[in-house]
Amino acid sequence: MTHSSTRRASPTRRRLLGLTALAALAVAVASVGLAGCSSDSTSAGRRFRPAEDGVLTVATAYIPAPAFWMPNFQTYAGFEAGLAYALADRLDLAEVRVVQVPFADIVAGDLGGADLAISTLTPTAEREDHLDFTSAYVDAPPAVLVRDGTTASDAQDLKDLRWGVVEVSTLTEVVRDRIRPEAEPVELADRTAELDALARGRVDAVLLDLPVAQGIATSSPSTYDVAGQLSGSEHLAVALPAGSPNLEAVDSAVRALRSNGTVDRLANRWLGGTGGKVRLIRVAD
Amino acid sequence: MLIAIEAPSGAALEFVLLFAVVLLGPVIVERAGIPGIIGLLLGGFAIGPHGIGWVEAGNRTIPELGQLGLLYLMFVAGLELDMAVLRAHKREALTFGVLTFAIPFGGGVLVGASQHWALPASLLLGSLLASHTLILYPAVRDAGLGGNPAVASAVGATVLTDTLALVVLAGVAGSESGSGSTTSVLVEVAIGLAVLGLGSIFVLPRVARLALGMWGGDRAARFLVAVVSFLVMAVVAEVFGIEGIVGAFFAGIALNPLVPNESPSMERLDFFGNAVFIPVFLVSVGLLLDPSVMFTASTMGLAGLICVACLGGKAIAAFVGVPLLRFTPSEAGVIFVLTTPQAAATLAATLVGYDIGLFSTSLVNAVLVLILVSIVVSTLLSGPTTRRVPVPEAGASAIGEHVMLACTPDGPSVLARWVAERLSGPDVGIVEVVVVHEEGQRPVSHAELEALERDVFRGGLDGSIRPVVDVTVAAAVAHAVATSSPSAVVVDGLAGPADGDWSALERLAAGTPVLLVGGPGDGRPRGVELVQEGATELLDQVVVQELATRLGRRHSRSRTGASGGADPGQVAVVATSTWPMSGEDDTAGGETTIRAIVPASSLVGGVADGAGGR
Repeated sequence: MTHSSTRRASPTRRRLLGLTALAALAVAVASVGLAGCSSDSTSAGRRFRPAEDGVLTVATAYIPAPAFWMPNFQTYAGFEAGLAYALADRLDLAEVRVVQVPFADIVAGDLGGADLAISTLTPTAEREDHLDFTSAYVDAPPAVLVRDGTTASDAQDLKDLRWGVVEVSTLTEVVRDRIRPEAEPVELADRTAELDALARGRVDAVLLDLPVAQGIATSSPSTYDVAGQLSGSEHLAVALPAGSPNLEAVDSAVRALRSNGTVDRLANRWLGGTGGKVRLIRVAD
Repeated sequence: MLIAIEAPSGAALEFVLLFAVVLLGPVIVERAGIPGIIGLLLGGFAIGPHGIGWVEAGNRTIPELGQLGLLYLMFVAGLELDMAVLRAHKREALTFGVLTFAIPFGGGVLVGASQHWALPASLLLGSLLASHTLILYPAVRDAGLGGNPAVASAVGATVLTDTLALVVLAGVAGSESGSGSTTSVLVEVAIGLAVLGLGSIFVLPRVARLALGMWGGDRAARFLVAVVSFLVMAVVAEVFGIEGIVGAFFAGIALNPLVPNESPSMERLDFFGNAVFIPVFLVSVGLLLDPSVMFTASTMGLAGLICVACLGGKAIAAFVGVPLLRFTPSEAGVIFVLTTPQAAATLAATLVGYDIGLFSTSLVNAVLVLILVSIVVSTLLSGPTTRRVPVPEAGASAIGEHVMLACTPDGPSVLARWVAERLSGPDVGIVEVVVVHEEGQRPVSHAELEALERDVFRGGLDGSIRPVVDVTVAAAVAHAVATSSPSAVVVDGLAGPADGDWSALERLAAGTPVLLVGGPGDGRPRGVELVQEGATELLDQVVVQELATRLGRRHSRSRTGASGGADPGQVAVVATSTWPMSGEDDTAGGETTIRAIVPASSLVGGVADGAGGR
């Protein structure tokens, strides 16, 4: 065996580190400078082609929807309205036009000529037959909306509550199969009836998508409160007509808005905070 | 209803699917001669929303676990960089590093420009084509080319390419995600990089050393110190608007000197990385693989362009090295094979680009095609190119690469540990502690050995411990040397004539420096004195100088004459070419002595300008 040595070589190491640091700094400066000087904000991939030049046409089902779509003179305010304006900006479109389309039509793939739909839509296999969905813009696990002052912090507390459910909602299964309340849930016609029953004390709790529950509680803080969220992988996404060539562009823009904090800022402004601030109540899957 | 059987769902099912892919994906594709990484990507696709659909598009568990795997991957990439090779071949490595970064980078930017992409997307594409992963280095090293200067240049260049690629990523992602003006983002990213750089040079190594001093004897704690280190650096990076993977990479560079590549710590990091974290990341990337996007004319056309930019750029860089760095064409071929595979840094940058909305699904799928093509092409060319390069003579090994420390069942003295640490440190080597005793003595129990292990490896040392029993202590040490081929041997307080016949060790260790530690002192010495004994010119020999440098750093001084007479608190390093086992006692003068027996082979020439032990 022969031997070699590795000198401690402090001066060499210092020179190497210096050189590398200099090169790194130069590349960083060049990258940020070049990236910052770029006026084009679109990502790699296909460009967005709107139905009407310079205009992002957005379909939504419910106007006004507290905390989501609220008319404000010629424009709209709210979580999803803010998302629509941010998307238009990201896609280099100067204007947003909003069209109201019945929810049943949207999920059937008819967006009323709009480029896309933003309407608290959760992707499901059935809906994917008629629509293309982007990645999530916000997570939407089931959340427990209660009357202000009602508390529930664990699975047993949830069982003890009187629940209101809408028979056609997918969340009804969650109430029956995961929460398994002691008392038979009260069946109600729709979400409006649910909220009314909750406010009047006919039921103690209803289950909604987390952002929706947050929006309602933020809009009426003296009436409603979000007691907690259950685990779940549901989310809200932007929908486009099936086969739309704009899917990639909108999908990239949604990811960018999540990544750069736009969605969190909107959630803080309109939903009272991001979903992570809501307590997780552990119940069996 | 008597029974209610339901379709499986929930976290347990997701984990079953995930780890089934981690287990079976590589096994299946490796049967076809395809690297396992491809099996993991295809497995991710198979169970994902674009495959069978067992993992839905909204699934958060696997992507979030994948994020941890991504940080781990970049941490290990920094940890395994061969700094010693970079130091040994700095000119060639840096020159080649600039070439193999700049040419594919330029190609990537041109591809982006030709597609009318935004400049940040083009820059990021350029940077991910400019990096590379040394997937085939083990094969090239096993072919005997580890010591080839051209190969060493390519290995050293990886430090530069990966660092620069991540710096571009930091700049681009910062400019995309930051909410301020270009100037403020630039300042924020520059400050962040400076904090990460300074933290990885001055702060993290010291903190990690302190933590290892407190808890390093516990194997799990040693592993967790590494994990916490890269997570903390990732968080620090994110504070400055820089992607967490950049912080994790810097953490790897910071801990690089503390985790020898052959050490048990690295083995544990590799084990968890290869068994869990990194495969999970690769499976999570596979979830993005979408045949309906990939197998379209536009995606395949894009994939073709970036393959040409990447493979072409890497080839040009390698062959420009022929006139510029005096590589042979055959060596350029091997360098091309080494620097072409795209995996770790490429995947990391791609996923970040996707997450920040800069890369579309079609580009991600095109990059996956590039990864497949680059790995397959380089694997196919690996054999023919390496065979054309002549294998150099046996490479020189570093003194501190594998230090064996032989001691009694009481454990090594503080001085002996200090010697072992000083020898192994510069080479980021391992220390193998051998507890020797004679047959008939009470054997060292498992519990005693574990206690000794915790005690010895609590500090900066990293290595293993084992007992060796033989008819005499001397025979036991010889036995240990024969079975591990250490690069240096430290014998702690055992070298007396009562310990047996040392001639076997003298014969077995020929060519290896053996340091006999003895004397009354048992602490870290205040100074080291190099003593020339007899008429030989040992003090001028490179190995002796190297030992003196490592043991004495800048505080050693030389004197001629017999040992004895050193100042209190100093250790005399007595260089000799003869074995002193005839019964003489070095401690007669009351002086603490390290008798360095220098191999005869090293007395002929100097020390090769070789790489260290990594």
